[in-house]
Amino acid sequence: MDKVSAIFQKELRGFLINPNFFMVCGLCTVIMSWIYPIQLNIFAQELQNYVYQTQIPKQQLNIHYAVFLRHLSYLNLMLILVVPALSMRLFSEERKMRTFDLLLTSPVTSAQIVIGKYLALMVAILVIIGLAFLYPAFTSIFAKVNWLILGIAFLGIFLVSAVYAGMNLFCSSLTESAIVSYVMAVIFNVAIWFVGIGGEIVDSPLARKIFEHISLSQHLSSLVEGTIRTGTLVFFATLVFLFGFLSERVVESSRWR
Amino acid sequence: MIEVSSLTKKYGEIHAIEALSFSVKKGEVVGFLGPNGAGKSTTMKIITGYMAPTSGYARVSGYDVFEDPLEVKKRIGYLPETPPLYNDMYVQDYLRYVAQLKGVEKSKLTSSVDMALEKTNLTEVRHRLIQNLSKGFRQRVGIAQALVSDPEVLILDEPTVGLDPKQVSEIRDLIKELRGKHTIILSTHILPEVQAVCERIIIINKGKIVAEDSLQNLSALKSGAQKINLRIKNPQDDLVRVLSGLKGVMKVYSGATRNNWTLDTEKQDEVIESIAKEVMIRGYGLLEISSAKADLEDVFLKLTYGEETKEVVHG
Repeated sequence: MDKVSAIFQKELRGFLINPNFFMVCGLCTVIMSWIYPIQLNIFAQELQNYVYQTQIPKQQLNIHYAVFLRHLSYLNLMLILVVPALSMRLFSEERKMRTFDLLLTSPVTSAQIVIGKYLALMVAILVIIGLAFLYPAFTSIFAKVNWLILGIAFLGIFLVSAVYAGMNLFCSSLTESAIVSYVMAVIFNVAIWFVGIGGEIVDSPLARKIFEHISLSQHLSSLVEGTIRTGTLVFFATLVFLFGFLSERVVESSRWR
Repeated sequence: MIEVSSLTKKYGEIHAIEALSFSVKKGEVVGFLGPNGAGKSTTMKIITGYMAPTSGYARVSGYDVFEDPLEVKKRIGYLPETPPLYNDMYVQDYLRYVAQLKGVEKSKLTSSVDMALEKTNLTEVRHRLIQNLSKGFRQRVGIAQALVSDPEVLILDEPTVGLDPKQVSEIRDLIKELRGKHTIILSTHILPEVQAVCERIIIINKGKIVAEDSLQNLSALKSGAQKINLRIKNPQDDLVRVLSGLKGVMKVYSGATRNNWTLDTEKQDEVIESIAKEVMIRGYGLLEISSAKADLEDVFLKLTYGEETKEVVHG
């Protein structure tokens, strides 16, 4: 455990003393600060219009759907591109700079290496999600916010980003080049949203059910509406474990290759 | 302490090392000598538990490097060919991190970092970023990194590469100082280094051990023959023919200029005498004649390359 925390602290410090991380955070806030007030404005206008016309669907009159969920979907889009940027150097750089030799000749297991790095990456992601949370939090000054549902929706995004982190760490472990790792990771992040699409073309109800279960958007949509299902938690945990395991295997493989 | 038995590593069809066997006793300093690509680094990587052998085994303190890699890694300090340094870390933080990885107790972290800094004379740069250090300092940080956990076994892959002569001698002194306390294997292709610090030498070529012995015994390998250095003023065309015609002279090599010559002769004083006499009579203008000791370099070249490296003028 000491060794996991040593690796975790070292990687976290690596993020925090690296200006790139702050640049990424800064750019994310620029985008959010541009889009969020616009969304809020549109919502305010719709509320005014509601007084005159009654055909507007009810969901659009709920701040959770009309503002917060859109905010989350932009955040998700950003995470698809940002998580690979944070994760790309974690293993690739070690390979390139030959510092991997140090890790592999130290009395640490491959699992400890992967867990330490994964946790540091998750903390960095949490910082970005925390920044995004500030927007709805400050909205509460002049609007009524349902905190529990908002929290669960953010939990959903956090779980999705945990899956990104797992996949992207795996991508980083595969290659020496940070660029290749980045591109691969973005493709993984985008691709996972399209797995569930298979449900549209299969005929058998069983296959459709399977596709529905492995569809990321299906699981996320229930979370953002404020429903936590055990199946969903298990699904996310499985994905994280799967890619964590694959990364561990790749790290271990450098011992016998 | 270290036991290696019929160790083989294949990269695809290429044998990096083949059936290597040797052992190192506790506290010994062993030099691993060989030309580039001989398999030195591969052997060292296997001993550190970094990679697995294709067949055979290596044991450190009785632990098999493949079965109990963690136990082995606890006992080993390893300096790879390229020092494993994080450019964005401070020297002190880096050493602390390595000490944590190696499992140094929390209470001893600070003192082991100080110890490593002191031994490698890095105290003045402890608060500097590694990326701003010169090559010599980086190499020393690499050595400090291997030392920081005070391991029983030190494996140093070309520890003095990139250092200036003063630093080289400092590192040699350091290794001498560590002798006895630690078991040290160091690889190099710089011969004086081995002569300066090692008690025993393993010469390896094309993945096989070609010689393994103490320094004295290896140097004595060439006994029965000696080398004569000759410097003359007026070399003439018949020189090679004349000199190699003498009794006891085996080979004549040309030196750096037409005025310098080296001769392989039998080990008899009369040979030197007759060479000197002949040079005088022919009027070559003798400037210097001296017997060069058959040194490790000759043994090394003979064992690894055969005799083909030096151009034979006449045999």
